[in-house]
Order: sequence, then C-alpha cells, then structure tokens
Amino acid sequence: MFELAIKIAINGLTSSLVYILMALGFTLIFGIMRVINFAHGELYMVAAFLVYVLVGSLGWNYYLVVVLAAVALGLFGAVLERVLFRPFIGRELNGMIMALAISITLQATAFILFGPDEHSVPRPVSGVIQFGEVMVPRDRLAVGLMALLILGLFYLFMRYTKAGLAMRAVVQDEEIASIHGVRPKIIHPLAFGTGAMLAGFAGALMAPIYTVYPYMGSQPMLKAFIVVILGGLGSVPGAVLGGVVLGLTESVFATLINTTVATMVSFAIVVLILLVKPTGLLGR
Amino acid sequence: MKAMKSALKFLSIIVILAVLPFVLRAPFLTHIGVMIGLYTTLALSMNLMLRIGQISFAHGAFMGLGAYGSAVLMMRLGLPFPAAFFGAAFGVTLLAWLVGQVFLRIRGVYFVLLTFAFGEIIVLMFIEWVSLFGGSNGLAGVPRPGLFGHEIQSRDGFYLLALALAAFAYASVRALYRSELGAVITSLDENEALTRSLGIDSRQYRLLTFCFSAFLVGMSGALYGHYLTLVTPEDYGFWVPVNLVVINVIGGGSHPLGSILGALLLVPLPEFLRDAKQYQVLLYGILLIFFLLFMPNGLYGVVEKFRRGRKGAAQ
Repeated sequence: MFELAIKIAINGLTSSLVYILMALGFTLIFGIMRVINFAHGELYMVAAFLVYVLVGSLGWNYYLVVVLAAVALGLFGAVLERVLFRPFIGRELNGMIMALAISITLQATAFILFGPDEHSVPRPVSGVIQFGEVMVPRDRLAVGLMALLILGLFYLFMRYTKAGLAMRAVVQDEEIASIHGVRPKIIHPLAFGTGAMLAGFAGALMAPIYTVYPYMGSQPMLKAFIVVILGGLGSVPGAVLGGVVLGLTESVFATLINTTVATMVSFAIVVLILLVKPTGLLGR
Repeated sequence: MKAMKSALKFLSIIVILAVLPFVLRAPFLTHIGVMIGLYTTLALSMNLMLRIGQISFAHGAFMGLGAYGSAVLMMRLGLPFPAAFFGAAFGVTLLAWLVGQVFLRIRGVYFVLLTFAFGEIIVLMFIEWVSLFGGSNGLAGVPRPGLFGHEIQSRDGFYLLALALAAFAYASVRALYRSELGAVITSLDENEALTRSLGIDSRQYRLLTFCFSAFLVGMSGALYGHYLTLVTPEDYGFWVPVNLVVINVIGGGSHPLGSILGALLLVPLPEFLRDAKQYQVLLYGILLIFFLLFMPNGLYGVVEKFRRGRKGAAQ
C-alpha cells in the first residue's frame, strides 16, 4: 500500500513538473501579450517530433537534442510573434483566433508528414533505481530532474536578469513599463520565444516517456489550461501552485473513481474559479 | 417599397433554392446542400455572439444537447418529431438562459475559457451517463422525422427542412440587426458604458442574444442528429465552435451574409476532399491565417468593395 502510494506520487510528480513547464509558458505568453495561445500544445508536439526524427531516426544524442529542440522552438515562437501575432496587439479575441489557426495548421502538417500513427522514441536511460523498498524508473527520474533544472533556470532568469525584470514589469503594467524604457517590440517576441521554448522542453522531455503523434499536444494543453486558470492567468507563481494542485487532485480522483470523473471535477473547478475569481488563486 | 423589394428578392431566392434539387437530381449535391443549410444556421448563431464580443465555446455542447435531446425525446419518450425537435431546442434555450445569468458577467477571453470548460463538462457527461446517452458510442438508430403523418426519408426532405431553418435564421438575424434592438446589441461590443449611461440594462440584451443564439444552435443540432441517425459525443466538442468562428472570420462576421458566404465556401470542402481530410484541415488553417492578416472583413468585405466600386463607376 505504501509502495503504491509512493509510486503514484512519483508518477504524479513527474507529470506535474511537465504540466508546470507547459503552464509557465502559456501563462507568460498571456501575461505579456494577452493572447490565449491555443497553439501551445502544438509547440509541444513539434518538439517531440524533432526528438523523434533526430534521436529516433538519425541517432543523435538525446540530451543534446532536448536543448536543440527547445532552442529551435524558442526561435520559432519569436518568429510567430513577429509575423503572425504582432498585428493583433490589444485585440485579444483576434489573437486567440490566430493561435487557433496556427494550431490547426501545425497539426495538419504533422499529420501529413508523419501520419496518424503513434511513434515511440528510444529511452535515453532504462531500468530502475532502488531506494530501499521503492523502485523508481530511471527515465522518469531523469525527466523529473531535468524539468526541475529548467524550472530553476527559468526562475533565475526571471528573477535576476534585466530581461526577466522587464517581462515581469510588462505583466504588471505595459504602459508604465514602457515609460521606463522597456520596449514592447523586444519584450513580446522574447516572451513568446521563452514560452515556446518551455513548451519545447516539455515536449522533448516527454517524447521518450509517452508516444509521439500529431494530436499528442491536446492533452498537455488542456492540463496547462486548467493549471493556469487555477493559479491565475498571467501569474507565474500561480502556475507552479496550480500544477501541484492539479497533479494531486487528478491522481486522487483518477485512483478513487475514474479519469472521466477526474476531468469533470477539474473542469467544474475551472468554471467555479472563473465565475468567482477570474484572476485565479494567486492572480492580482 | 425598398423593404418589399428586398423581401421579394429573398423569397424568390428561397424558392429557387427549394426547387433546385428536384431539377438537378444529384443526391450528392443535395447532401452538401443539407450541410450548408445546417452550418449557415450554426454560423449565424455564432455571428450573434461575435456581435456582442463574447465568443461562446459552449456552442458545441449546445448543439450536442439539441441532437441528444431530440433523439432521446423521440426514442425514449416516443414523442412525435415536431414536439421532440422544439422541446430540445427550447430546452437548450432554457439552459442558456440559466447559465447566461452568471456567465455573461464574464467578458473577453475569460468568457471563452469559461464556456469552453462548461462545454467540456457537458460532453464528458454524454460519455459518462451511459444509460441515457449511450456513452462513447453514442446513440445509433435515431428515428427519421415525421411531419404531417408521413416520415421524411429522402435527402430532398431534409434539404427542405435545412433550407427552411437557414432561411428563418438569416431573416431573423438580419431583421434583428436592422431593428433598434440590433443597434443596442451592436453597441454592447463597441461602447457598453455609453449604452448603459442611456439607462439601458445591457445584461438583459446580452442574455437575449445568448438565448436566441442557443435556440438556433439547438434546432440545427436536433436536425443534424436526425439527419445522420447517429449521435456521438465527439461530434459536439471543441471543434464545433472553432469551425463556426472560422466560417465567420473567412466569410466576414460584420454582416449575416458573411456567415452564408463562409458556409458556402468551407462546408463543401470536406465533402469533396474526403480522402485527403488532412489537406482540407491544412487549407482551413492557412486560409484562416491569410484572412486574419490580409482580409479582416472576410469574403463579405471583398464582395462589398466590388459592389461599391461598380456603383461608383456607374454614376
């Protein structure tokens, strides 16, 4: 019984870490550009396919490819912002429709290139590590550690660099920030790029654990969406809190009842939060 | 005089469209006609929501409730078709009225997210409540509608029903926009504070728009279920409102005619590209990006520009 609990906790924790990576990017993009990025799951999917091609087919080193995929997604995100989102600054609904259009386009492209099948990617490490009585799969442990590392780096970046400070300022008030010399033309692609990069990390990390297919982005996107509403749209600490809350409630309800009910409960919570306090648990 | 002329024009177009399948005798085209009629009605309902600046992602679930509702009322309670059809549509309207009381306070993207989560709950309910809705497999063998004592079997019959529905939707939405009521509704998105300063209770108007929109969706959902004779949960999820937004953006949401143009262009695509569905989805995405960037007024904007240009040349 104890062992089972530990196992559920570990599985839940690695998933929460990845949800948090997704949610952080999603919430950063919303906080700065006021765009609901419906294409976030597709960015995750693109990174996973990069891993599938580079590691699975060409046999490159997995860890190198994780970094490469994340950087590539970051650049891709910055380009998307510059070319497709910039005309819709200040028009939230049009920006959202543009994100939907990008999502549709990327999904169809992946489907045409790779077909509907689920592909698997060779795991970078295999086997288990024994901590006393508890066995932990090595691949999940590696993914969890890397996700933690990326979260730590992201925190340091937001907390101690000038760019991070500028982004936090824009989240609070774009006009006041621009009076102080923060240029939106630089911050917007930077924020979208950073958000896309986090989605890229998430996708590249999860590729060997789950299977890779064109619609793989919708599930993590949905989770990120719930996490972000829980924590408050645009709030970075809120995304972390939301990720932990969702990871816990989900594993409890999924074990006790079933996954459909677990999803219904989380959506019901989302509806309640949006009605009572649309800014979320930690939002302003 | 002018109003009578345009009413006559509208009626003659409807009559021509109504006779068309009996002249052409092409069942495949009739099928596409049915789908265009249904989607025109659905797109018009989304056009109403765009008018007040609140995109409802619960419209997929409302359509599903119309389809499941009418099917269940006929199959389990044995009601005749007209009773089941209007019962389901009014049921959906009632639900919209109830949730609209609180949902419509929320604006912008928060409203989109709220209605999205609400819609997901309803679709999950279709899956979870197996004894009533048949679970993931849905309800098969939905009965064909019967009107005035004889059953509608043929596509032509469905075509006439869908055409009547679309004509009703178009005429009522257009009449609404032209009325004083429509001016108030339009003002809600443009400058609500000003409208309220005139002593207008804006929430009642939003509620009215939401309910009428849900009524249109409920009716088209009900007809859709009877036409396919199969109702499954995945037909009524996230992609319904997305498609309706796509149709309105590409057709041009500023005028109800835009909804029709969008449906005329986009609905036949999947039917013709049946073997290459993904290419069609790709085309949707690219068209959407293109229209958003370069033709924000959609096809209707292009038509209008052309018409105005021609008028200018004639003078």
